[in-house]
Amino acid sequence: MIYMPYGDSAMLINFEQKIDPSINQKVMALHRALEVSGIAGITFLIPAYCSLTIGFDKNVISFSELKSTIDSFAKEEMNQLSNNASRLVHIPVCYESPFKLDMLDVMEHTQLSRKNIISLHTSIKFRVYMLGFVAGFAYMGKLPQSLNCPRKSVPRIIVPEGSVGLAGLQTGIYPTEAPGGWQIIGRTPLKMFDHDNASPSLLQPGDEVQFKAIDKIEFDAIEKLQSVGEYELEVCNG
Amino acid sequence: MDDFKMTFLKPGLHTTVQDQGRLGFQHLGVPINGVMDKRAAKLANELVSNEINAPLFEITLIGPKVEFSGKGQIAITGADLSPTLNGKVIDMYSTISISDGDLLEFGHPIHGCRSYLAVGGTLKIQRWLNSASASATDPKTFTPQSLIEKSAGFHVAIKEKAEIKSIPSSTRPKLPSQLKVRVFRGPEFNSFTKESIDFFFKYWFPISKDANRMGYRLDKILPHFNPDVEVISSGIVPGTIQITNSGQPIVLMADAQTSGGYMRIANILTDDLNKVAQLKPGDLLGFEIAD
Repeated sequence: MIYMPYGDSAMLINFEQKIDPSINQKVMALHRALEVSGIAGITFLIPAYCSLTIGFDKNVISFSELKSTIDSFAKEEMNQLSNNASRLVHIPVCYESPFKLDMLDVMEHTQLSRKNIISLHTSIKFRVYMLGFVAGFAYMGKLPQSLNCPRKSVPRIIVPEGSVGLAGLQTGIYPTEAPGGWQIIGRTPLKMFDHDNASPSLLQPGDEVQFKAIDKIEFDAIEKLQSVGEYELEVCNG
Repeated sequence: MDDFKMTFLKPGLHTTVQDQGRLGFQHLGVPINGVMDKRAAKLANELVSNEINAPLFEITLIGPKVEFSGKGQIAITGADLSPTLNGKVIDMYSTISISDGDLLEFGHPIHGCRSYLAVGGTLKIQRWLNSASASATDPKTFTPQSLIEKSAGFHVAIKEKAEIKSIPSSTRPKLPSQLKVRVFRGPEFNSFTKESIDFFFKYWFPISKDANRMGYRLDKILPHFNPDVEVISSGIVPGTIQITNSGQPIVLMADAQTSGGYMRIANILTDDLNKVAQLKPGDLLGFEIAD
C-alpha cells in the first residue's frame, strides 16, 4: 500500500497496480473497514480496481493523521473483512433484438456464434471491480480472452438505459442513458440506478454478478413487475 | 413577511441550485457536485445569516430575471454580472432588503464567471442523496428543481429579520482573468518527461471554450508527451489535472466523473480551485508547486 497526497483534501492509496480479483478484494476490505470506522473528517471514498481514494476535511484531520489512523487499525480489520464473501447478484439480460445492437460486430470480432457468446457471458461469475463513469455504472470482469473485443471506433451519442456491453476484458451495464463506446450485446429490464431509492445503486463495489439469458416476453414481464415494486432480485449472500 | 416567494422570469445561461455537494456517494459513481466557488458561496450565505452550506443559486455569465413577492433579504457574491434591482445598480457583497414586487436582473459580465445568489431563510427544495445540488447526470429526473428553467418558483421560509451586513471592498475576493495556482504533484507526476513538466510550469494555459462544471479543457498541448504509462481507472477528485492521450490538460471540477484513466500530473489546492471556478474561456491559467 502506497499512501499519496491527492491534492490537499484527498489521499490516494495505491495497491499493486494490476487488475486482479485478490488485489481488488483488499481494496474493498479497506473500503468497508473505513466505511464503518467512524474516523472523523472522512468525506467520501472511491474504491477502484487497485486503489482507494479517500476525501477528507483538512480542517478536521490532516494527511499524516489519517495515514497513521489507517495504518494502526485498518490492516487488522482488513484481514478479517477480506475473508467475508461478497453478494452474488443474478441479473437477467435479453440478448435479442432490438437490444443486441452490436452482436454482429462482436460475432465477427470473436469468431464466435451468438449462442456461444451468450453462453460464455452467462456462465461466468463476474466481479464488480468499481463503479464510475456515470452514477451506478459497474465495471465488471474479467471476460474470457475469447470474448475480448475493442470499444467501438465511433462511440454512440446515446446508449439506451439497461444496455449490457463489452469493452476489452470488461463487461458493464449502462444504468442510465449515456454516451458510450462499449459493444452492446443485450439489455437488462432491471433498474440499475433508482434515484428514488435511498440506496440508489443496485450493484455495490465488490459484488459478484451472474447474468441470466431471458427472452423478450420475460423482459417485458420483469420490467412490469419491477415498475410496481414486485420483482424480487435474486441475491445470494456467499 | 412570512411568505417570501421568488419566480425566475428568465433562467439565465445556466443557473442551478448548489450546496456543499453530494458527499459520501462517490463509491457508487455519483459525482460530488456542489458550488464551484466555495468561498463566494459561503460569503453569500453569511451575508443573509444562513448556514454557510445552505443551498443557493449559482449563476453562470448570463444571469436570470427574478421577481420577488413578499419581503426578504438577498446577497450576491462572486462574479460581477452587473446585478440591478428594479433597474438600479445594487451593491454586491452586501445584504440587500427586498420588497414585494422587486425585480432582480443581471447585465454584462464585468469580471468572473459564477455569481452566487443567496436568499435569507430556508429555501424549500427537494433534496436528492442529502443534497440540493443539481445532479450532473440526468438533472431533470434526479433533481428537477435544481436546474432552473423559465417560470421556476421557490418558497422561502423566513426566520427573524437578520442584520444587514457588508463586506468591505478591500476584503472582497479579486477575480483576475490571469491566475497562477498552487498544485501538489499528481499521482503519475513522476511518469512525465522532464520536458513535459518544465513546459507545464513555465507557460500560461488558455481556458478553452470547452469549460463547464465537469471540467476545463486547456488550449495548449504538452510537448514530448508519450502516454506510455497505462493508468488503471482510479478515483478522481475535483482539482485533478489530467492529461489526455493527445497531451491536452483537463482540470476536473465539481461535476467531474468519480473515476478516470488518464495520467494525472497535478492537483490544484482547494483554496485556489475556488479562483479557477471564476475563470472563463480565454482566461489564462498557470501552475506552481506548493510546498
